[in-house]
Amino acid sequence: MSANKSLMKLHEVYKSFGDNAVLKGASLELSVGEVVAIIGGNGAGKSTLMKILMGIYPLDRGEIFIEGEKVNMSSPSVALEKGIYLVPQEPLLFPNMTVEENVVIGFNENKAVLSAKLRALIKQLGWDIALSRKAATLSIAEQQLVEILRGLLREAKILILDEPTSTLTFNEIQSFFKLMMTLKEKGIGMLYITHRLTEVFEVASHVVILRDGEITVSGPVANFTKEMLIKGLMPDNMVHAKNNREACTVDYTKMPVLKLEALTGYGFNKVSFSVYEGEILGLAGVVGSGRTELAEAIFGKGEILSGEVELLGKSIKGFNTNEIVEKGLNYVPEDRHLNGIFAMADVRLNTTSSILSRLSKVFINKKEEKSVTQKYIDDFRIKVTGQDQTLKSLSGGNQQKVVIGRTLSSNPKVILLDEPTRGIDAGARGDVYKIIYELKKLGLAILLISSDFEEIHELADRAAVMYHGTNDVVLSKAEITLDALTQAAFGC
Amino acid sequence: MLIIKKIFEKREITALAFLVILFLGVGLRNPDFMNAQSITTVLKGSVLYIFLAIGMTFVLLTGGIDVSVGGTLGIAAAVSATMIRGGTSVPVAIVVAILIGLLIGLMNGVGVAIVKVPAIIMTLGMLGIIRGVMIVYTDGKWVENLPDAFKMASQANFAHVNIYFILAIITTILVQFYFSKARTGKYFAAIGDNLEGSILVGIPAKKMIVIAYVLSGLCASIAGVIFASQVGFVTSNTGVDIEMVAIAACVLGGVSLSGGVGSVVGSSIGALIMTAINSALIFLKVPSFWNKSIQGTLLILIVVSDVLIHKYFEEKARKQRLSARAQCLDKSVEDSKDSKDAHISTESTFVGGNGQ
Repeated sequence: MSANKSLMKLHEVYKSFGDNAVLKGASLELSVGEVVAIIGGNGAGKSTLMKILMGIYPLDRGEIFIEGEKVNMSSPSVALEKGIYLVPQEPLLFPNMTVEENVVIGFNENKAVLSAKLRALIKQLGWDIALSRKAATLSIAEQQLVEILRGLLREAKILILDEPTSTLTFNEIQSFFKLMMTLKEKGIGMLYITHRLTEVFEVASHVVILRDGEITVSGPVANFTKEMLIKGLMPDNMVHAKNNREACTVDYTKMPVLKLEALTGYGFNKVSFSVYEGEILGLAGVVGSGRTELAEAIFGKGEILSGEVELLGKSIKGFNTNEIVEKGLNYVPEDRHLNGIFAMADVRLNTTSSILSRLSKVFINKKEEKSVTQKYIDDFRIKVTGQDQTLKSLSGGNQQKVVIGRTLSSNPKVILLDEPTRGIDAGARGDVYKIIYELKKLGLAILLISSDFEEIHELADRAAVMYHGTNDVVLSKAEITLDALTQAAFGC
Repeated sequence: MLIIKKIFEKREITALAFLVILFLGVGLRNPDFMNAQSITTVLKGSVLYIFLAIGMTFVLLTGGIDVSVGGTLGIAAAVSATMIRGGTSVPVAIVVAILIGLLIGLMNGVGVAIVKVPAIIMTLGMLGIIRGVMIVYTDGKWVENLPDAFKMASQANFAHVNIYFILAIITTILVQFYFSKARTGKYFAAIGDNLEGSILVGIPAKKMIVIAYVLSGLCASIAGVIFASQVGFVTSNTGVDIEMVAIAACVLGGVSLSGGVGSVVGSSIGALIMTAINSALIFLKVPSFWNKSIQGTLLILIVVSDVLIHKYFEEKARKQRLSARAQCLDKSVEDSKDSKDAHISTESTFVGGNGQ
C-alpha cells in the first residue's frame, strides 16, 4: 500500500443546472488505497460531483486528473476505461436479465473466462447469491451486491460508493466493510458517500465535507471528532435556538382532524398517530422508511390492508382520491415534477386545476379563476410576471408555492406536505416555511413529511418518526432535537 | 402460479404450442389444412414475415418501434423488380434494394436516437414519405413481367423445403446466436430494459439504437426482394399494413413492447403463427376481408394480455419488496443496536432525481 500516489484529482469543478449552481469550485483528491468519505446535506452536490466524475454530466469548468493525467470525462465509457466505477445509491440493474448477465454485460473479455472469474470472486467474498436469478426478483440489498460485483469484476482502481449501506442490514454492512478493507489493501481508492457519521470513522482514511457545492472541510479522519463533523455540516448561521416562534397553541382536547389507527399497507405497518387542528405533525424518517407509501395510502392512491384512517371522526378508508379531497384532505406530493405540476400550463390553471368542478358548470368561470389565483400569488409572494406565465419557467420555490396554493384552493381541513422544500434554495425555503406556519395559524392540520430533520425541528409541534414502516416514536415539542430524531429514524 | 410463471418465462414454448394447437384445431374442422401442400404454403408465406420480425425484434428490444417496415419492403420490392425487369443483374438489384433499406433505417435511427423524435412518430412519418416516393417511382403502375428465372428462384427446394424458408431459418438461428453469445448481443435488450443503467456500464446506447433501426431497414429490404421474387409483380400497395403483422408476430413470440424482453426465435415462431392464421381463415372459409380486422384484434389482444401480465408481476414484486421492508423491523432493531450513534440523514437520489 503505497501512500500519496495520486489516483484521482478533481480541480475547481463548477457545475450549474440552469440558474442553480450546484458545484462552486469543488476540489478533491484520492490516493492509492485511500477511502475518502464525502459527507454533506441535502442538495450539497455530492451526487452531481460523482456523476461528473463518471462522465454522466459534463462539467462547466474545472479539471479532472486520473493518475496525473488530465482526462476529458465525456462519457461513462471513458470513466470505465480509466478504471472508475460508480456503485449508485439506487442500483441500476437490468431487471429482465440474470445476475450473471447483469454483471458481465459491457465487458470485452471472453464469457467463459469472465464467468469463472465472477464465480471465484463470489467465493472469495463468501457471498450467497444465485447467478441465474432474474434481477427483478432481487431485494435492494442484493441488487447493491450485484452492483458492487460489477465494479470488482471490472477491476476498477477507483470505486465510487454512493451510500452503499443505506439499504443494507447490519450484518451485510459488516461484511461490506471487511470487503472494503481488502480492496483498500489491494490499492483501490474509494470515494465513500454516506450520511452515517459513525461509518466515516469506521472505514475512511480521509473525510471531506461538501456544503452548498464547495468543500468546506477536508483532512485525515484522525483529526476529527464526530462533533466537529456535525458542526461542519451545519450552516454557519444556524443557531440551535430557533424554536423561537410563539409557543404552540394546539388544543389537544378537541377531536383530532386526522387520525390513523394501526394503519397497515404495502411499505408501512401498524402506523398510529393523530393530527389536531392548528398542529404541524412532523413525520420524520429516512428514505425508504415508508412515509410516502403511507401518505399515498391516506390519500387514496395506495392500498390499505388493515387499520383505520379517520377524518374528523369519520372513516375515509377505501375512498378514492377525488372523494377524499372533497372531504377536506389534500396532498402535496414529494416529486413536483412527477406528480405535482402541469409544467407547460400557466400559473392560473395550475392553481385552480383541483377546483375546476367548483369554478364551472360547463364553462370555466374565468373571473373567479383569476381572483382565486391572484389571491394565492399575493398571499404567498409568488414571483410571476403574470397569471399566464408557464409553470416551467418559475423557480423551484415558486413552483412549490403554486402547488401549495392549488392544494389550498380546495379548502382542506388537513394537508399532507411531502418533502415541501426538497430541491429549493434557502431563500424560498424560508418563504415556504412561512406559508406552512400561516396555514397552521389558519387552523389547518398539517402532516409534514420530511427527511430534513432540521425542518422538522423548526416547524413541527410534535414529530412521529417512521422506521422500517412503523412509528414507535412520537416526540413532543420539547423532545424534538436533531439527536432524538436521528436516533429514532435509524432505530437506535 | 409458479408453473404459469415458468411457462411465461419461456414464451417461445407457448408460441410453439399455440402454433401446434392452431394446426390441430383448424385441422379438425378441415383436414386439408394439415396436408403437406398447405403446410408448404404456410412456410413459404411466412418468409416475408420472418425477415420483418427479425429486424423488428432489434428495434422492439431497445424499447422502440418501427412502423415504416411495410414502406421499406414496398420500395425495395419495387426498385429491385424494376431493375431486374430492365435487365440489371439480380445481385446488383439486391444490393441496391438493401442500400435503400439501410438508408431508411439510418434515417429512422438517427431521428430516434439522436434527434429524439418519438419512435412511432419518426417511423410513421418515414412510412408516409416512402409511400409517396413509391407511387411517384412506380407511377402508380404495377411492376410486372419479371424474368422467370427470378420468379422461379422462389420455388426452389432443398431437401423438399423451400430455399427462402431455409434462408429465413438460418438467419433466425444466426441472429439468435448473436443475441445469446456475442458481446454486444445483450446490448439491445439492456437498452430497452434500463437505459440509464446501460449507459452507466458503458454501452453506447445511441449507437446501438441507430444500429437496431438500420438492421430493421435491412431486413425489410430483404423481405422486399423476396416479395418480388415470390409474387412476381409489385403493386403500389405492396407492403401496406404489413408492419402490423410484423409487430404482432414479435409480440406473439414474447417480445415486450416496452423493451428488454424477447428472443428472435420467438419472433420467428410468431411470424409463422401469423401466416398460419391467415391460411387457416381460408380453410375455415372466412371471407378474406376479415383478415386485417382479425390481425388487428389479435395484436391488441396479445398486447393487452402482455401488459396485464407484466403489470401483475411488477406490482406483486413491488408489494413484496415494500412488505419485506416493513416487516424486517424486529430483526434490524436487533442488528443495529451496536451502531447506536448519531447519524445525519439527508437524501440524495441518483438518476431521475433533481440531479443535485
